[in-house]
Amino acid sequence: MSILDQRELIASIHPFGQLSSRELDALMKKIDIAYYTKDTLLISKDIESIAFYIVIKGTVHEYIDEQLHNVYSHGDSFDADALIYGKTESRFVVDEDLICYEIKKEDFLDLMQNKKIQSYFLQDFISRHKHLKEFDSQSDLTPFLMAKVSEIFLHKACIVDADVSIYEALQEQTKLQAKVIIVQEEDEYYIVTDTDLREKVLLESLSTDEKIIKIASNKIITIESSDFLFNALLIMTHKGIKRLVVTEDEKIIGVLEQLDLLSYFASHSHLVAVQIQKAKSIDELKSVSEDIKNLIVMLRAKGVKVRYITKLVSALNEKIYKKVFEMSVSKELLEKCSLIVMGSEGRAEQTIKTDQDNALVIDDNVNEELFVAPMEQLNAYLLELGFPTCKGNVMVSNPFWRKSLHDFKGQIEEWSNSLDEKELQNLSIFLDAKSVAGDETYLQTLRNYLYENFSQREDVLAHLAKAVLNFETPLSLFSGFVLEKEHNNKLDLKKGGLFAIVHGVRVLALQYEIDETNTVERIKALNNKGIIDKNFAEELIESFDTISSIRLITLLEAKELEEENYINPKNLSKNQRDLLKDSFKVVNKFKKFMNFHFHLNMVV
Amino acid sequence: MFKKLFSNFVKKRNLAKLKDERFRFLFEEDTSGEYVVFDTETTGLDPKKDEILSIGAVKIKDNKILTSQTFEIYLKNSAEISSKSIEIHHIRPCDLENAINAKEGIEKFLHFIGSRTLVGYYLEFDVAMVNKYIKESLGIQLPNEIIEVSEIYFDKMMPLIPQGNIDLRFDTILKKCGIPNIGAHNAVNDAIMTAMIYLKLTQER
Repeated sequence: MSILDQRELIASIHPFGQLSSRELDALMKKIDIAYYTKDTLLISKDIESIAFYIVIKGTVHEYIDEQLHNVYSHGDSFDADALIYGKTESRFVVDEDLICYEIKKEDFLDLMQNKKIQSYFLQDFISRHKHLKEFDSQSDLTPFLMAKVSEIFLHKACIVDADVSIYEALQEQTKLQAKVIIVQEEDEYYIVTDTDLREKVLLESLSTDEKIIKIASNKIITIESSDFLFNALLIMTHKGIKRLVVTEDEKIIGVLEQLDLLSYFASHSHLVAVQIQKAKSIDELKSVSEDIKNLIVMLRAKGVKVRYITKLVSALNEKIYKKVFEMSVSKELLEKCSLIVMGSEGRAEQTIKTDQDNALVIDDNVNEELFVAPMEQLNAYLLELGFPTCKGNVMVSNPFWRKSLHDFKGQIEEWSNSLDEKELQNLSIFLDAKSVAGDETYLQTLRNYLYENFSQREDVLAHLAKAVLNFETPLSLFSGFVLEKEHNNKLDLKKGGLFAIVHGVRVLALQYEIDETNTVERIKALNNKGIIDKNFAEELIESFDTISSIRLITLLEAKELEEENYINPKNLSKNQRDLLKDSFKVVNKFKKFMNFHFHLNMVV
Repeated sequence: MFKKLFSNFVKKRNLAKLKDERFRFLFEEDTSGEYVVFDTETTGLDPKKDEILSIGAVKIKDNKILTSQTFEIYLKNSAEISSKSIEIHHIRPCDLENAINAKEGIEKFLHFIGSRTLVGYYLEFDVAMVNKYIKESLGIQLPNEIIEVSEIYFDKMMPLIPQGNIDLRFDTILKKCGIPNIGAHNAVNDAIMTAMIYLKLTQER
């Protein structure tokens, strides 16, 4: 009876639960309970690790270079790496009287003979992270959302040479029962759809003896067969197209039709996009935007990665912006300016509608006054659609964010010479700018102007980067006493983790002239430029994804807007807590990197 | 000095009564440096009438509880277990299916403890229960030294609440010492928890 109690406790700790009943029995005969008083140094560089510890009660702090790195409490265990590699850079110190299970080093290494245990402990951070995540979502993950393009039905690709006649091409198409014709001209591929045939052949009475290339219009858009179906849906939604050409090792293997794809997805994200496009009034748009929230809830429940959800939602919101813009601005002015969104929307990371953060760049030769009324209208429309007005008044109705190209350039010069907090904040907002309507070249011009002005300005960059260190990473909060009392003992995910990653990456993107605004894309670009190595980049992306996804769950459940960033770690499952802890570790590592990179300790 | 002499005298007299030479090791000096914490579950609270149902024990060495060498046995009993005592120890007759006969069980227990110092909570009672069995078969009483955790606890609390009544109930001590309640009360669990209390009280600086 009694030994069973102990056994159950051990089995509840991942990965020991994967042991067979007999293995578990054997393990129980090797476990002792130890008691350590506060401040006992358990493991350090000079004190070799002699056992694997599982906390029953009390807390242990892990320090690396005198910095708190992790906190272990009930149910947590440490430190496999120190045992496996026989050394560690960390110091493990008892913070609150500790009662723990101990598995002796030899016994622990014996245990590693078990493949499942071994793979869990030997894997590096990233795969361990994924392992835990898989474990976490086993229950509700719908496999089809993780399906690859190669798993779905593909239509045969009908590929013809550029100089065959339209007639011959059509014969070939009929033979293969293909929906479209792909035309090859040297190394380039073009597509001929039914629309092309109707508009160019039938309506313009073109002879079917003409060469097929004459009626081909667009280059093909492709997707690798190893990519996720979900990404295929994203591309279709984003580009407003109905099919993708599927490639494998750069060879065309088939055509993915939207209809087939949609039958795969219960959701109608693409249909939402179409509805937006077709909406004639604000009221129609309103009903569409209602659908978006439902879509998020559903996708999340199916275990789709948050960064795909946010991308999708951003793509949909972008369409709403575009539509509203067209409703507010007269036709002749549409291309004389560029409507940009900033903040989370600009980074394509926003999930549920956040505050409006928008601006307008106006052609130098157009009277700015012409835009005053339309922009006020735009803000009002967006408000009606449920985009709350921005508290900081970062909106096109505010003259500060509605300027001519020339005036924006002046603003950039000012930013590059200012150390004022308010100005730095405005600059941060602007760095995430993304054009959603109008002529986007205005924004690109400004972007290049930014790079010009900030190259060699490490001093201002360092000041901008300093904000990364503004908030403590709430790692110590897990020990249970220091949670934010005024927020019902919860911790702030945004301040504690997301902000440091988003902001740090944003500043690096400015320094290395990276056009991307999405945090994950920026991290990838930084990796491509060799600023951070691949491992670290993946760690950052995984951590960012983990914190965002935990935040998303909270957002969906939050009743009040102010509470949306707060979570109570006690409400998380053990796995989620572990993932979150690991993520905060990476946040700390990133802060260190920023500190070193910009010499932040020298910035006052 | 006198006390030591006296205890030596008692020990010798006890040894003289030993009927079974196989158990002479109980009187030899302990060199293991270990302690044994043990607890019994009985049919009642009168050592004269009642019998042991189960014994649970763990060893302590330095700051460690050697749960890897946990001792746990159930003993066969002569009489039916009264329904009243079942309410307390939750040992039903069917739980005793794997039980061994009392003589064999107690001998196993003696081999487990050797001459180590014994630790327990209200240990006097448990020792008396064991003595009842070995007096009959071996002619002796347990010669081991005894450490009473409620006494250590009392001495520790005394300076803090000189006038007050010190609550010596097991659950209260557990709570005051911040020891987690690791599960149902049975002999082994109680022994482990008592061991935790002992470590907490003696290791703390």
